[in-house]
Amino acid sequence: MFLVDAPITGRRQVARDMFVIGMHAPEIAFAVRAGQFVNLAWSAGPLLRRPFSVYRSDGAQIEVVLKAVGEGTTQLLAMEVGEHVSCLGPLGRGFEIGPGIRTAVLISGGLGVAPMPLAARDAREAGARVIWVHGARTAAELCSEAEGDEVIWATDDGSQGEHGTAVAAAPQAEVVVACGPNRMLAAVAERWPEAQVAVETYMGCGTGVCLGCAVPRKRGGYDRACSEGPVYRAADIDWAALPSHLSYAATA
Amino acid sequence: MTTDMSVAIGGLRLRGPVLAASGTFGYGTEVPLLERRALGAMVSKGIFLRPREGTPPPRIAETPGGMLNAIGLQGPGADALVRDYAPKWADWDFPVLVNINGESASEYGELTARLDGVPGIAGFEVNISCPNVEQGGLYFGNDPRAAAAVTEAVRRRTKLPVWVKLTPMVSDIGVIARAVESAGADALCAINTFVGMSIDLNSYRPRLSFRTGGLSGPAIRPLAVHLAHQAARAVRIPVIGIGGIARADDALEFLVAGCSAVQVGTATFVNPKAIAEVHDGIAAFLEFRGLASLADLPRYLPRD
Repeated sequence: MFLVDAPITGRRQVARDMFVIGMHAPEIAFAVRAGQFVNLAWSAGPLLRRPFSVYRSDGAQIEVVLKAVGEGTTQLLAMEVGEHVSCLGPLGRGFEIGPGIRTAVLISGGLGVAPMPLAARDAREAGARVIWVHGARTAAELCSEAEGDEVIWATDDGSQGEHGTAVAAAPQAEVVVACGPNRMLAAVAERWPEAQVAVETYMGCGTGVCLGCAVPRKRGGYDRACSEGPVYRAADIDWAALPSHLSYAATA
Repeated sequence: MTTDMSVAIGGLRLRGPVLAASGTFGYGTEVPLLERRALGAMVSKGIFLRPREGTPPPRIAETPGGMLNAIGLQGPGADALVRDYAPKWADWDFPVLVNINGESASEYGELTARLDGVPGIAGFEVNISCPNVEQGGLYFGNDPRAAAAVTEAVRRRTKLPVWVKLTPMVSDIGVIARAVESAGADALCAINTFVGMSIDLNSYRPRLSFRTGGLSGPAIRPLAVHLAHQAARAVRIPVIGIGGIARADDALEFLVAGCSAVQVGTATFVNPKAIAEVHDGIAAFLEFRGLASLADLPRYLPRD
């Protein structure tokens, strides 16, 4: 885990209201694994850090994807290249995509696309055929980047790809990885109990001490999304007890 | 010049006045990037005799300059603490106090007896102020007789330092402070979180599943400075100031207002190096003002 004062290196739009921000954070870029996250703070920002899945890492740079859903993310998106962000990470336990798999399906809804580029990289390295299934409310909200892999699009209004949810549009596969609203992940859990899902929760510290990011377990009690998660075996979570729809959608 | 930052509090000699507050530092084993040299002492996450699951999520909500939490004292219970954590603490070069909780005075006493004498446990912080449990907690903290009864129950079971953590949710903190002092406390910790509530306008429901939570962070600092000062005026035992400390100047306010030491809590969530920065900032302040030791810091403490 590193605490890096990271200059912003760039920003690009990938869907309506959805942006990717790059930061120069070499230690984190080198160490991060698919599904892990960083906890960000910036001067004039809110009190608590904000968690973001790492979208891509490339040499000395990491990227996160976000929408302006609250005051914090609005401030972050207004920052200029060269301004600094305090970056704590990599945090949490990521996806485990072992070698020798034939197919991997990456299911994401909206900002849930965040951990998928790194998951796709791991799956390709494992020798798998990689299929992205990415859903949003409407065509304009679909993330335009898919790393050259096969993509199945799904929209609630049918404006692009399959008419309906990403979960319904997903084909069978040996390995299923999913991230999106918790309600979507609950649907993944019904169809693929063995899927690896990255959940979203409110987070206090991101490092395991505050116990604020409680994830209810099927066998009882709570885990910490920041430490035992954010990636879980879908069947291990008590989905009925896990709140959905955060007022900020962090995707971590 | 090397500034003498050491302090003596209720039977313990600490190398510095900046302590890690309970519930913000886990059991000390989880904390990343820890700079131990700066840590005066650690107070571990609040524990009950038996394991507790804690409250359902959502457990935290950010508010202007602060955060509400309702964790519900999730913890593994005394046996697991003795087995898994105390042996590690025994090797550390700073003391660890255990924040203890109970649903009755006798349960506090039983927990103290279980933990007393365990290597690695240097003392107790008696939590009579947690707002997030159904039984006990805050109830003991806002009644002077109940506060004294709990303190006595702990005092009878140990010769180790007994600190008592007070709630701000009282009309006169001096009354509680004196009751606890008379019951044998070695020091007071002032203060725990304020009870607060925040509403989600999408669901028309409280943002926390527990409905209310404890408010911490910079938002409560001036309230906390006042209450710690009131407590310090009321007693002769040392007071440890807590509430929204993120920087050295914040800590110095508490120290000048009559506190002997401080605890840093919520700030650690945001900045894992907060305790070290507060410690170093206090030392730099003392040196800049030409004060050879923390003991030379002028205090504002008119006695009641």
